[in-house]
Amino acid sequence: MMRFSGVCSAIVLVVFSTLAQAEQAGWALFDKVQSAVKQYNFDTSFVVLKGTNVDTYRWLHGRADGQEIEHLIPLDTSGVDILRRDALVYYLLTDRPAFVTRSHSIPELPALFFEPKENIQRLYNAVAGSSSVMSGRSAQLLRLTAKDASRYNYWLWLDDETGFPLRIDILSEQQNALERWLVTHMQISAEMPENLRSLMEAELPAPGDSVPRSAVASSHQLTWLPQGYTQVEEPANIPQLESSLLSYWLLSDGLHQVSVFVQQAQRLPTQAYRDGATTIYVQNANQLEVTVIGPVSIETARQLAAGVH
Amino acid sequence: MSSEHQDWLSAASDNKPLTKAQLDSLLTDTELQSTLERYHLIGATIRRETSGPLPVDFTAAVMAEIDAEPAYQLKTDRGLLQRVNASVAAAANGRWLQPVAQGAIAAGVALMAVFGVQQYQQQPEDMLSPQPLLQTQPIAGFATPVSLSQTTVSDRFAEQEQQAMLEQQKRLQALLNAHRQQVRVMEQAQQANHKAEANTGPEQNEQQ
Repeated sequence: MMRFSGVCSAIVLVVFSTLAQAEQAGWALFDKVQSAVKQYNFDTSFVVLKGTNVDTYRWLHGRADGQEIEHLIPLDTSGVDILRRDALVYYLLTDRPAFVTRSHSIPELPALFFEPKENIQRLYNAVAGSSSVMSGRSAQLLRLTAKDASRYNYWLWLDDETGFPLRIDILSEQQNALERWLVTHMQISAEMPENLRSLMEAELPAPGDSVPRSAVASSHQLTWLPQGYTQVEEPANIPQLESSLLSYWLLSDGLHQVSVFVQQAQRLPTQAYRDGATTIYVQNANQLEVTVIGPVSIETARQLAAGVH
Repeated sequence: MSSEHQDWLSAASDNKPLTKAQLDSLLTDTELQSTLERYHLIGATIRRETSGPLPVDFTAAVMAEIDAEPAYQLKTDRGLLQRVNASVAAAANGRWLQPVAQGAIAAGVALMAVFGVQQYQQQPEDMLSPQPLLQTQPIAGFATPVSLSQTTVSDRFAEQEQQAMLEQQKRLQALLNAHRQQVRVMEQAQQANHKAEANTGPEQNEQQ
């Protein structure tokens, strides 16, 4: 009997230690990805696949003398350039003045690369997967599995040699790919790309003082929050919707953001739409139209909308 | 010895294959190379070809031509730099433009359209309810005449429905843009909040 229990506990120990090791290896890979996108000088192109919709971007990054510069060019929309120099993000438009925000990363890029690891460790387990060949390079799979089933899972492929991310799949609970982020071309160099060097010195507009605070007096209450999410206090003003907006909440779990809008009912049925991994859920009830927008499952969005009173 | 050379060299000038040793000696010995060139010249003359054989020093000519080529340099970002240098001195979220410009900017930066989104609820219905079949033969034996007014009414209805759909898509697009704008300025808002909390934190706590 003693022997049997001894063997059992040994097996349990071995299983647990290998699991812990796999987890550690996974997070080590994750560190590699995060440092690759922050430290290297690179010039890449990537596509974002959402169903039948494809968006193409060029993404350049440079680092020299302690300064960091990043340039994102959406190739499908002309006249928009997104530039980040250290902690300032510039949206440079052709026909309008530039829009400047303070942020340490460009929000149009996958947040996974830039959020602190502790935030992501709170929400996800990381397990290293198998290796495969992707666009002629050897790629290592890293699976980020949500601890809470309502959150989407990430499968991330990184270049074995450099740790640079090659592909990210966002998967629903049923393991269907909702959105795919895919690098189509990548060039890592020792020197900063030439055109970034000139942008580094270019004179850019100064940021605005601060974002005006929301003037919408919440006449409703949000009674339910998805696991891990908290309300962002005093979200920014939305001037273009001010006339029609009754209440607004912005929720964040550190990695994803969800918006909840309350407006007058428009006599339209309750419906759900999807834009890649972003769910748009519209609920009409009690003369109110509640719209939930964010990377959550339809079930979570429905519960959120039902939690508005 | 020399006639031996001439034999295989002459064969080579007639496109006969060379052995490895022969090729090696040809590559190292400049005298042999010029002999081969001479053989080629003779062959070309006999065959009455107008153009002579490839000269031994053709690489030098190509290199000279490459040097003479003008160098092209591709500059992709000139447009952006010009734009940056030309005008933008004030940011749209600076004090002046704040109330008006931000909404316009949000629309301008809206990178993707909602029109590509898949509608969700229709799918299961489609799968469950069978497609209406086109009835080719009248059941009662007589074909009922098609009323004109009926079709126009349904047409008008479809038009209205489409109008409502477009309206709905526009509203959703506006909301999606607002959401993206919120994500863009979030870090900034949070930083400002932390500062505000640090300044007035204790008082707020007391009030609560």
